[in-house]
Amino acid sequence: METMTTPSPATAYAHSGVGSSTDSLAGTRRWAMALGVLAAVTMIAALYMVFFYAPTESTMGVVQRIFYMHVPSAWTAFMAFGIVALCSAGYLWLRDPRLDAIAVSAAELGVVFTTIVLLTGPLWGKIAWGAWWVWEPRLTLTLLLWFIYVGYFILRGAAENPERGKRFAAIMGVVGAVDIPLIHLSVQWWRSQHPKPVVLRPEGAQADPAIVQTLMVALLAFTLLFFSLMLFRYGLERLRTRAQALRVAPR
Amino acid sequence: MTTASEPREPAIASKASAHARDADAWDAPGASFVAQVWAVARKDLLLEARSRERLVSMGTFAVLVAIVFAFAVDPAVRARSIGGAMVWVTVLFAGTLGMGRSWALEREAEALTGVLLAPIDPGALFLGKWMANMAVMLAVEALIFPVFALFFNLGFQGSIPALAAVVVLATAGFIALGTLFGAIAAHTRLGDTLIPILLLPLLAPVVIFASAATQRLLVGRPAGDVLSQLKMLGAFDLVFLFLCTALFGAVMEE
Amino acid sequence: MSAAAAPAPALAARGVEKWYGPLPAVRGVDFTLAPGEFVTVFGPNGAGKTTLLRILCGAVKPTRGTVTIDGEEIGESDGARRRIGLLSHQTFLYPGLTAAENLDFYARLYGLPRRKERVEEALLSVGLQDRRGDRARTFSRGMQQRLALARTLLHAPSVVLLDEPYTGLDPHASAMLRAVLDRLKDGRRTVVLVTHNLSQGLEQADRVVVQVAGRWVSDEPRGAVDTAAFERVYTERVAAAA
Repeated sequence: METMTTPSPATAYAHSGVGSSTDSLAGTRRWAMALGVLAAVTMIAALYMVFFYAPTESTMGVVQRIFYMHVPSAWTAFMAFGIVALCSAGYLWLRDPRLDAIAVSAAELGVVFTTIVLLTGPLWGKIAWGAWWVWEPRLTLTLLLWFIYVGYFILRGAAENPERGKRFAAIMGVVGAVDIPLIHLSVQWWRSQHPKPVVLRPEGAQADPAIVQTLMVALLAFTLLFFSLMLFRYGLERLRTRAQALRVAPR
Repeated sequence: MTTASEPREPAIASKASAHARDADAWDAPGASFVAQVWAVARKDLLLEARSRERLVSMGTFAVLVAIVFAFAVDPAVRARSIGGAMVWVTVLFAGTLGMGRSWALEREAEALTGVLLAPIDPGALFLGKWMANMAVMLAVEALIFPVFALFFNLGFQGSIPALAAVVVLATAGFIALGTLFGAIAAHTRLGDTLIPILLLPLLAPVVIFASAATQRLLVGRPAGDVLSQLKMLGAFDLVFLFLCTALFGAVMEE
Repeated sequence: MSAAAAPAPALAARGVEKWYGPLPAVRGVDFTLAPGEFVTVFGPNGAGKTTLLRILCGAVKPTRGTVTIDGEEIGESDGARRRIGLLSHQTFLYPGLTAAENLDFYARLYGLPRRKERVEEALLSVGLQDRRGDRARTFSRGMQQRLALARTLLHAPSVVLLDEPYTGLDPHASAMLRAVLDRLKDGRRTVVLVTHNLSQGLEQADRVVVQVAGRWVSDEPRGAVDTAAFERVYTERVAAAA
């Protein structure tokens, strides 16, 4: 039985299942930078609109402007989880490590935006109604989403071997995603049973067009920012995987 | 191929019948999915019936939680208005306690590897475990409900069949996710402590609908009033029984 | 020992590799075994022998490569899985169940007909028929291994994998194991034995393999191996490949 010759590093990480050894990350980086620039521009526009264009809301005052950070963050947090869920399902099916890389990148950003929602909500709530926390359906759903994200990361890190960890995390992603609509329904029903339903309408009683426009721009800015950061993170994850494979060069 | 020398088999039949025995095994169609589910469930139930380990630990824990509630709840509060809540909190905590044990059994002599060697559908393994866990959990619940009724003087006025339906449906979904994540947790460094962290956010719908329905039945509202909760619990069960069965193969893979 | 003509090799591995992330456990193993062959695999600790056996029986999915049994690829719920058995140093038994119950469980899993008879015969063949109602927990190491052997052979696998089965066995149990292995050499069953024990391993082998660092560095027919010199040769091969 002839012994195999020592494979080259390229073969090594190709064999270790990290995906095509020729997949170039230069394209990813270009897109990430382009989106980053766009995000920065849009963000500046949004900031201007938030502070100078949108009118001060009648009942809640200046503090209502935190809404322009709260709502886009919520949108981004849930969109991120949608990406996590889709890529997790894809990863479980196809086992392509790139799908897992997208999922973890989206998850890391998602949990950050979820945290922002959970911080801005109470800040606004305290000033507007005097309560640090209200069990408003959407806020409650976001709180549970935060824990699902945390579960995702714990599973990723705690498994006996990294491949299994990725698979476990992906399972959490899929189960979480399927559960979110059910949680949403249940939490809504739950609050509807409450004698004094608390209606959180940070957008105020009237839907002033200026408010809506500002919100849209802010949404766009956050979305672009998310995708830009996600692409950077994805590139980083792919590099990390390759570096790991190269470090353990076959003897 | 020359025939081998006389076999030194202790007291068994001749070579011919040994061949027949083997061919028998090779030609058999194999166990059906249902048969495998039952084999796994039966095995777990046998083990539990013999050691009663989970029943005792979960049952004891549940009674102690009831005592803690008795101490902790302010006397001004009517226990009757939080009966549904107390019971389901206890069920959840006792359940997550017992979930890990079911998989610990498999790790003792690495029995799980032996099972996975067999041509078993991972879904069958999951459903078998689920069935056994359901039986154990329902047995513990059969203790929890009367104990709470006793400790807090909760005269149950509602429809017993409706309550049974709530309990069964809520437990089914709880145990489905619990069995899946119990298996996952068994293969992590953190082990059983991970189970409640993973499960509780996901079980929000179960808690919400089950305790609301139980509370309504407790105060004597008609069974029709809990129909919508039963439907939601049923939907939860269908979705997750299917999903967990489908995902189980990915958990078991090494 | 010439094998009967067979349309497909009893057990074949093609390009089997297993990487745990960037760490290799099995680095490319290719072989075919004819029905009735008895192969002994020697190798130092950490050579990946256990991992290889687990891949061969389907307990572990390889990163690359395929394993076929009688030409069928091993996958889930396959006919291939029914033809292979693994005996490891872990018994894969439930300590809380009796000997008979343990075997009955496995018989159900494999869908074996005439379950009761089969379990009884299996217990007889390893001499445990008098302990059928005792929990596996009460068995000594030797008896547990015998029960595990009964479990392994219960479904009459045509390919039998043995992972250091002599570990921890007293002389009586060892002798019984050796007798069973002799019986397995009936020309129809293919056996892969992994062992550290050079003399026991060489005794029944038709083919002698040395595995180091996830690869088969040597694969020779038994006849080509000089028993007396083997220990030295083995040490050399291990050192060379490390």
